[in-house]
Amino acid sequence: MPRFVLFRFASMLFVLFSISVLVFLIFFATPGVDPAARIAGREADQQTLRQVRHDFGLDKPMPVQYVLMMKKLFITRDLTSYVNRGAKVWPQITEAIPVTLSLILGASVIWILFSVAMGLVAAVSRGTPVDAGVMVLGLIGISMPVFWLGEMVNLVSQSRFHDTFLFSWVPPLGYVPFTVSPVGWFKALLLPWITLSILYIGIYARVLRSSLIESQSQDYVRTAHAKGLTGSRVLLRHSLRTSMLAYVSLFGLDFGALVGGAALLTEVVFNLHGIGWLTYESLQNFDLPVIMATVMYAAFFVVAANAVVDLFYAGLDPRVRRA
Amino acid sequence: MTETVVGGVPPAEPAALATPGAGPWVLARRRLARNRIALVALGVFLLIVLVCLAAPIYAHDIAHTDPFRSNLNGTTVVNGKTVPVMQQTTGGLGLGETPIGPTWDPAHYFLGADSQGRDVAARLLYGGRNSLMIGISAALITCILATVIAIVAGFFGGVTDGVLSRGLDVIWAFPVFLLAICLSTVLLTSGGFALGPVTIQAGSLVLPILIIGIVYIPYVARPIRGEVLSLRRRDFVEAAEGLGASDWRLLWSEILPNVTTTAIVFFPIMIALAMLTEAALSFLSIGVQPPAASWGTIINDGQGLLYTRPVVALAPGIAIVLTVLALNVFGDGVRDALDPRAKHRSRG
Amino acid sequence: MAVAQKEEIVRRTTTIFLALCLIALVAAATGYSFRSTTPQRVSRTAALQDHRGGTLKLLAKAAAGTIDPQVNYTLEYWQLFQDTYDGLLGFQKAGGSLAFNVVPDLSSNLPVPTNGGKTWVFHLRKGIKFSNGQPVTVNDVVASFQRIYKVKGPNAGSFYAGIVGATACNKTPATCTLKGGVVGNAATNTVTINLVKPDSEFKYKLAVPFASIVPANSPPKDVGTKPLPGTGAYYFASYDPNKQLVMKRNPYFKVWSAAAQPDGYPDEITQSYGLTVESQITAIENGQADWTLENPPADRLGEMGTKYPSQVHIEPLTAFWYAPMNVNIPPFNNLKARQAVNYAIDRNAAVKIFGGPRLATPSCQVLPPGFPGYKPYCPYTIKPGTTWSAPDLAKAKALMKASGQIGQPVAVVTSDDEVNKAMGVYLQSVLNELGFKATVKPISGNIFFTYGQNTKNHVQIQVQQWYQDYPAASDFLYILFGCESFHPGSDSSINFPGWCDKPINDQMHKALNTAVLNEAAANVQWAKIDKEVTDQSPMATLFTPKHIDFVSKRVGNFTFSKQFYWLVDQSWVK
Repeated sequence: MPRFVLFRFASMLFVLFSISVLVFLIFFATPGVDPAARIAGREADQQTLRQVRHDFGLDKPMPVQYVLMMKKLFITRDLTSYVNRGAKVWPQITEAIPVTLSLILGASVIWILFSVAMGLVAAVSRGTPVDAGVMVLGLIGISMPVFWLGEMVNLVSQSRFHDTFLFSWVPPLGYVPFTVSPVGWFKALLLPWITLSILYIGIYARVLRSSLIESQSQDYVRTAHAKGLTGSRVLLRHSLRTSMLAYVSLFGLDFGALVGGAALLTEVVFNLHGIGWLTYESLQNFDLPVIMATVMYAAFFVVAANAVVDLFYAGLDPRVRRA
Repeated sequence: MTETVVGGVPPAEPAALATPGAGPWVLARRRLARNRIALVALGVFLLIVLVCLAAPIYAHDIAHTDPFRSNLNGTTVVNGKTVPVMQQTTGGLGLGETPIGPTWDPAHYFLGADSQGRDVAARLLYGGRNSLMIGISAALITCILATVIAIVAGFFGGVTDGVLSRGLDVIWAFPVFLLAICLSTVLLTSGGFALGPVTIQAGSLVLPILIIGIVYIPYVARPIRGEVLSLRRRDFVEAAEGLGASDWRLLWSEILPNVTTTAIVFFPIMIALAMLTEAALSFLSIGVQPPAASWGTIINDGQGLLYTRPVVALAPGIAIVLTVLALNVFGDGVRDALDPRAKHRSRG
Repeated sequence: MAVAQKEEIVRRTTTIFLALCLIALVAAATGYSFRSTTPQRVSRTAALQDHRGGTLKLLAKAAAGTIDPQVNYTLEYWQLFQDTYDGLLGFQKAGGSLAFNVVPDLSSNLPVPTNGGKTWVFHLRKGIKFSNGQPVTVNDVVASFQRIYKVKGPNAGSFYAGIVGATACNKTPATCTLKGGVVGNAATNTVTINLVKPDSEFKYKLAVPFASIVPANSPPKDVGTKPLPGTGAYYFASYDPNKQLVMKRNPYFKVWSAAAQPDGYPDEITQSYGLTVESQITAIENGQADWTLENPPADRLGEMGTKYPSQVHIEPLTAFWYAPMNVNIPPFNNLKARQAVNYAIDRNAAVKIFGGPRLATPSCQVLPPGFPGYKPYCPYTIKPGTTWSAPDLAKAKALMKASGQIGQPVAVVTSDDEVNKAMGVYLQSVLNELGFKATVKPISGNIFFTYGQNTKNHVQIQVQQWYQDYPAASDFLYILFGCESFHPGSDSSINFPGWCDKPINDQMHKALNTAVLNEAAANVQWAKIDKEVTDQSPMATLFTPKHIDFVSKRVGNFTFSKQFYWLVDQSWVK
């Protein structure tokens, strides 16, 4: 087992390294992104441009620039933005983390509760219209583009019906830190939580339902039935536990991606300055240092989540360990 | 996604339904044919496809409009009166120009106009063509490539598997938006770039198809690889090996047929995911370039009209929801049909 | 006439006369002014007492880069710099065209240059302190001028290249002394600036934020996010480009010239970033914020104009929207093709995209109405003359045929925000109608401006806007179309079409020289140059935009300056 863990860790580093190199190459292959003129300002004259390039080390060869950037990002941690001169990148990331965590923790609580309920209901009433109805509801949630849904929510809650009792409690878009006001934090995040979770409820309900159904035909469940246990008892005590395997591993993967900033469109639409928002802004601005930092951050969590889930499976199924 | 369908020898069917010697595919088809809901969903999907394919007919013969030409100063006929397509706000300070809303008259701006004065209904149909094309092509690429990669990785194991799995990790962790934005900027700004013998122009659908197709490969490859790994150890495979079958033979006759069902189940789901991703990429102005339309770009256009003409954002959104829903329901039906162990299916 | 009638007339006239007197008296008593944009001095003190205080909340989509006034070149921060920094001279902080006046700021006099226009002597005011308590000395002034070159500000090599010693400073900024160029005399408290040759626009260049006076010990490099102390009515308390900018009252500020730097109403001014533009408008409507920098989205204009008309302020702008065409590569290296585009564009359609005729006026030429040197001229319409009425498609198509450019591929490059993209899509439609094979390429707004300047990107036609830096015709004609503004292969080449016409360029130099002594004569020359440039058609002008400001209900005393737009600290929130 330890060899396996070591091997996975090494491959994680390799993946992170490849991604950083790719990001770097892609950035500089894109025309128009040369930061010198944007840093120097409008109508800068040629001499100014040359000097700015020199200051930022933009006239050095690529590999040197790459190493310098990685050093500044990970070792000395004083990497600064191309667009907001002097603004350090690390503090931007650390300030954005609590916002993203608040968003996804709340959303995941909601989607776990609802998806487990819906999945159970659907599995129990399998084949009936209730089953179909619940599944269709979930599917509609998956089928909506999240940025579209978010804009609709804003249209209703901030503009059209803002003055009615339904939505007058909705605060202006943006994040309120928990330490500043727990109630404000909650109110500001409630609608974003619901919007983000709608996307996932459907998927997880389906996964749970099909795992439950599949497990129904397993031998140990048939044994339980033969022993005289009623349907729902079997479901809850036997099937649910083993069905959670697929559910939990999927959750691990999705949660890892979300920590890394996959909820970017939700954060943008609701003005929550989390990691996803930071990623989006830096992409729009072609701000390579911030892009690199957010990409590395996201990649780390995605790869780590993958590794954890794989280890989890390997722990359960020794045959998988060989990979 | 860990829903797996493990193939195997199907149990004997009740005598009334089975024809002696019918293979698993025939049986699956029959099961599918009995699943009414799935058939309805398939019908809805095909209807959508047909209507979108008929876009040129709608535009030329019914609506008499060119949905790709700006028509800001144009006029149309509503209830017998000629009205301008873009109407200046009357009242107050008289600011802003609003396109006309839905007239519910197929011959004149059925769903109203967008901010360039173009017919939304016609664009919706043309957009459907592009969205469906991108969705289906990307899904094909994903499913085929993922199956191949997964089989090779799972079957041969060792270094091959290690390299391929790490490659999948890189793709999965890679910031697809960055890649899409940069690639798109590269293409927009050059005349196109050459990929071997093929030149890719900006605005060509090949770019979003490739990006979306490749990005989802890990999503499908991982479960299939898991399946291949467990299949590898199954009795019937080891039996064939014992009989002296070559690797190729094993792959072709034992492994492939069993994972194909998984790939088939994934296919409609991937079409749906691809269409949703295309909408998100259009939100970032990548992929289909103006004045061409896709459902994603029409939603993007609609964001700027959300407060006056929400129908421009609603219509493509609903179209996506319907199509994706139909595909998912049909996909469920396919999975149920291919899963021989689900005996309880036809029970009440 | 009968006596009775005469009496009647006398009575009538007297009544009217008395009534007018009464009205005048009442008007004088209530202090009503017919110039509604300039607050009167008498009522200002009272207003400052009544309405002082509160926090003014501004919104913008994103921060605008560095907070260093000698580097930043964005309207977003120039609007705020006028409240936080002062130069030797400043633009008058008043509404309307009064804002074009240059008034003495930290200097007590606006000097008349001597020595053939090459020497400017300024008398520094006494008793002014920076926001950190340091007094302002001639040393700070000299150091600030040196700093312009040390931080490699964008205009170090252009605006300020004419100061003695500037060439050396531009070559080796680190050791910049400006010896002989900017000389401070602590004994007489004067600063003398010596120019290499006379510059009729120098007073403007001293009034823009690049020439702000900052403490001598300011770091000799771009400060990025750490604001410098200033002499303005406010100072920058904090700046986080991901969240917000906070300005607070400068505790050491005392009014020395209400024309240059008056006291402000709010106690605090914040500018927050991140909200989408639609959400910003909603926030202002809900009273959650007070103003946005961004142009309102097209679909909110109707709602704003009908439901919140008193909160909408529309002001004419000296700016223009135009489509520069690259004259060095096909197809627009062909004059006929360029003119065809000019004849074919329906400027009314462009106006509609922008928001309708209340917000924009079609234009064919370079200079905007009301600008020095402006003479209305429009050849690219059905009845050529002074104003545009309708496109002339027939003429356009004939020109296209003669040009031989039919079937040529063209890409229209635009910024990717809503309005610009829509303009691009419209232009593409026009080009297709003319027979080109046109595509649109919307590019991220953050790289678009530099992207469009670099000839390496082979941009054929694009959609651009230009707003004045200061009120001189050369700021439009010479900066945008002069040969010296064209730098092939550089990201900084503001002459977008890459157009260089030697005879016209010589005329521009001549006009610049004439302006030193005789502005009126120079303006006549500029009008002629405007006409000639328009005829050569290196660009297709679209329209002159108006500026919209949307404020919340509680904002009062909205004052618009033609130089720096809304005077932020001159409005109150209480």
